[in-house]
Amino acid sequence: MSTIEADGVGTSVWDGGVSPFGIPSKKLSMWLFIISDALTFTALLMAYSYLRVSSKDWPMAFHFYPSIVVSTVMTLFLLTSSITMVFAVSAAQQGRMAASFKWIWATVGGGVAFLLLHANEWRTLIDEGLRTNSNPWGNPLFGATFFTITGLHMLHVTIGVVALIVISLGYKSGKYPADYVEITGLYWHFVDLVWMFVFPLIYLLSVAPSGAAH
Amino acid sequence: MSHGTAAAPHVHQAPTGFWKKYIFSLDHKVIGIQYWLLALTAVFVGMGLSLYMRLRLAWPSGEFPFFGGAQMTPEMYLALVTMHGTIMVFFVLTTAPQGGFGNYFLPIQIGAADMAFPVLNMLSFWVTFVAFVVMILAFFVEGGAPIGSWVAYPPLSAVGAIAGPGQGMGMNMWIISIGIFCLGALLGALNFIATTLDMRARGMSMMRMPMTCWVWFVTAVLGLLAFGVLLAAGILLLLDRTAGTSFFVPGGLVISEQLIDHKGGSPILWQHLFWFFGHPEVYIAILPGMGATSQILAVFSRKPVYGYRAMVMAMCGIGLLGFLVWGHHMFISGMSPYTAMVFSVLTLSIGVPSAIKTFNWIGTMWGGQIRFTAPMLYAIGFVSLFISGGLSGIFLGQPSLDLYLHDTYFVVGHFHLVMGVAAIFGMFAGTQYWFPKMFGKMMNETMSKIHFWVTFLGVYAIFMPMHYMGIVGHPRRYADTSGVDFLAPLQDMHVFISYAAMITIGAQLLFLFNIIWSMMKGPKASDNPWEATTLEWSIPSPPPFDNFGGRVPVVYRGPYEYSRPGEAKDFVMQDEPMK
Amino acid sequence: MSGNHASEQGEHHDGTTKWFMTVWVVLLVLTAVEVFLAYIHLPVGLMLTILLGLSIAKAAMIIAYFMHLRYERFSLVLTLIPMWMMCTLLMLVIFPDSFRIQEWGWPR
Repeated sequence: MSTIEADGVGTSVWDGGVSPFGIPSKKLSMWLFIISDALTFTALLMAYSYLRVSSKDWPMAFHFYPSIVVSTVMTLFLLTSSITMVFAVSAAQQGRMAASFKWIWATVGGGVAFLLLHANEWRTLIDEGLRTNSNPWGNPLFGATFFTITGLHMLHVTIGVVALIVISLGYKSGKYPADYVEITGLYWHFVDLVWMFVFPLIYLLSVAPSGAAH
Repeated sequence: MSHGTAAAPHVHQAPTGFWKKYIFSLDHKVIGIQYWLLALTAVFVGMGLSLYMRLRLAWPSGEFPFFGGAQMTPEMYLALVTMHGTIMVFFVLTTAPQGGFGNYFLPIQIGAADMAFPVLNMLSFWVTFVAFVVMILAFFVEGGAPIGSWVAYPPLSAVGAIAGPGQGMGMNMWIISIGIFCLGALLGALNFIATTLDMRARGMSMMRMPMTCWVWFVTAVLGLLAFGVLLAAGILLLLDRTAGTSFFVPGGLVISEQLIDHKGGSPILWQHLFWFFGHPEVYIAILPGMGATSQILAVFSRKPVYGYRAMVMAMCGIGLLGFLVWGHHMFISGMSPYTAMVFSVLTLSIGVPSAIKTFNWIGTMWGGQIRFTAPMLYAIGFVSLFISGGLSGIFLGQPSLDLYLHDTYFVVGHFHLVMGVAAIFGMFAGTQYWFPKMFGKMMNETMSKIHFWVTFLGVYAIFMPMHYMGIVGHPRRYADTSGVDFLAPLQDMHVFISYAAMITIGAQLLFLFNIIWSMMKGPKASDNPWEATTLEWSIPSPPPFDNFGGRVPVVYRGPYEYSRPGEAKDFVMQDEPMK
Repeated sequence: MSGNHASEQGEHHDGTTKWFMTVWVVLLVLTAVEVFLAYIHLPVGLMLTILLGLSIAKAAMIIAYFMHLRYERFSLVLTLIPMWMMCTLLMLVIFPDSFRIQEWGWPR
């Protein structure tokens, strides 16, 4: 029940005139966007799981070296870039522009390292014969799902890196407020979050049985 | 009349120049009209396509213009089916009710000067416009428009041009268009949710919002959650067609004596992903019409909406349940009967909040001092069509009956009445109701009433017989059944429906003429010609650039203060202070 | 490095550097556990459950602390998380169809 008094002044945060969640609209929208994008990735991971369950001879193709080692290092880079992003946001909120700028660029570095390692991993797998429609190890859907999911994730990381660069320059020049750093940070953490699911579901569930490394 | 005001906010500058004012405007009112015009264009394209379909069905061996004197092949018919469905569902039913009226009136009804993100708003419209252009281009590429129907089931939609004319480039254009549309819809949904939550004026609590604002909010939430899944499905389908993946294509498929080089996929996966989106989509299509109907029934019955709280709960219930029932489009896909039972129970239970809303609409009118203006007629028409269409849904919601009725004309009759025509009536009602505010002129009542009656009787004449045809067993998406023994007797019914369709579609030209005539020569509209209470009627017609002319409204009352005892007039505006 | 602002009223400095670093280390450790698990021979169903559980735990920590949701109004949490959860749980309904395909051993 609304608690509005006769002169129209509201007493509940839901009575209008204020944001009920106490956060700026742009930040709320980033959260909403994250929910929607999370559902896109969820749908893709569900599709992958569905196809894997219904398939025979799914390849167990990721050898410890280089695949699992490299993808673990990629995970570490992404997690580290998340903590640097936290520091960047914290610094921005305290008005320490230069420090924030440095931390954002540390995050960019982590993201770029991730992308380079990932691109190299793709190249290695393609050299071994992995394609979207075939591979030397088993079910052809392995390549299809691998490239689609990791590809879409890479696209999101790339967009994040570009966004971070733009925001860092804008923030440093005073064009963007500290809020924008936080909002871009939310996107970056989301990208990391998706990887928390992609890494075990795609890589760790397809480890090659212990044997020769490459 | 006094208007409650708060301290005036920072006023942003009005745009100057043709491009900034009319094309790339950031003003939610202009963007709303742009969406509305897009839908108006799309609906006439969609109707033209359906007219061609009806001509083919009634006179299967006839020759039609635009085909170079040749007969219409079954594949061309399927292309019409596909594009009619796609254009109507996406570019009419998902644009005008939400993007059109919602964009125009949500900020005003909650007392804001614009949407939360004007630039994003402009982008969502132009992204949607690009999607429409890409969709129309599908007619003109090699092979023509796709023939997979608006649901684009694989494997036929995934294997490329070998599946039929239009399944090459045309199908690619379709998928790309829908993908672009998803992005536009998602951006729009973000904007609506943020605006509704954050931009309400002081005193405009959630439970004081007009029904229309609630409906636009719930619709936006549905869109936010559903379109992401469609985007994923579209990406996978496009990859199947262009990158050699086999998400949806099983092995061993032979088409035209050619073995298709795909294996391992599952067509059922597409159905699940598509309908997970597809069912909420139909609620996105119908909910705004429900909100407009509630609003208009209250205004022209001079009574509050009956059971406001129940209406809000029912709306949220419909939104939630809408996500749980997608399997009822897949009863014949071979799913486990236990799964079917669960989907069936959930589907039938959507009847409960729908019935609550229907009874409340009737309750709103009951005992009211009804003014039978054109908007009121359309709103009552909406209720009628929703009941008719909804009742046939109860049959389809039972797997045992659906096994027989799936893919027959019974389904076609059902969804046209409950979604197609009811939502269109919601749009007619909204147009008639809000035209004075949007354009500052009144629409012609006589033309509107003639249009209403011809359309109302016409759509019943078109779609009611289809239920009978479906029970006889007439399948849908067939260009010509006149050679089939048990269906040949229905050919007369096809002819009857086609004549009804011609008359009804002809009547829409009257509606179009009414709009254009009234825009140019209609009588000037006052601020509040309908004597309604919501905030859009407290500002001039058409509104100034920043809606409230620099003042910030303060809201003291609920949205349906009609026929209040002890008041001088039979309505009290929302922003009139208590005495 | 940010200092200790945990006691500051209502603003965004709710986590300390030390706390964020702790969360980060926990995330790294959990990652190591996951990689380790991949190499011991657990039955697939059990492994999948544990991996998903760990992933959800990691995701929850990132959302709560790095994305700050722990310190926002609870109504925001209630608005966001159930939406995603509901849609995810609903998508699980598609799996009986995939089990069916697996059982019947359709031609590949």
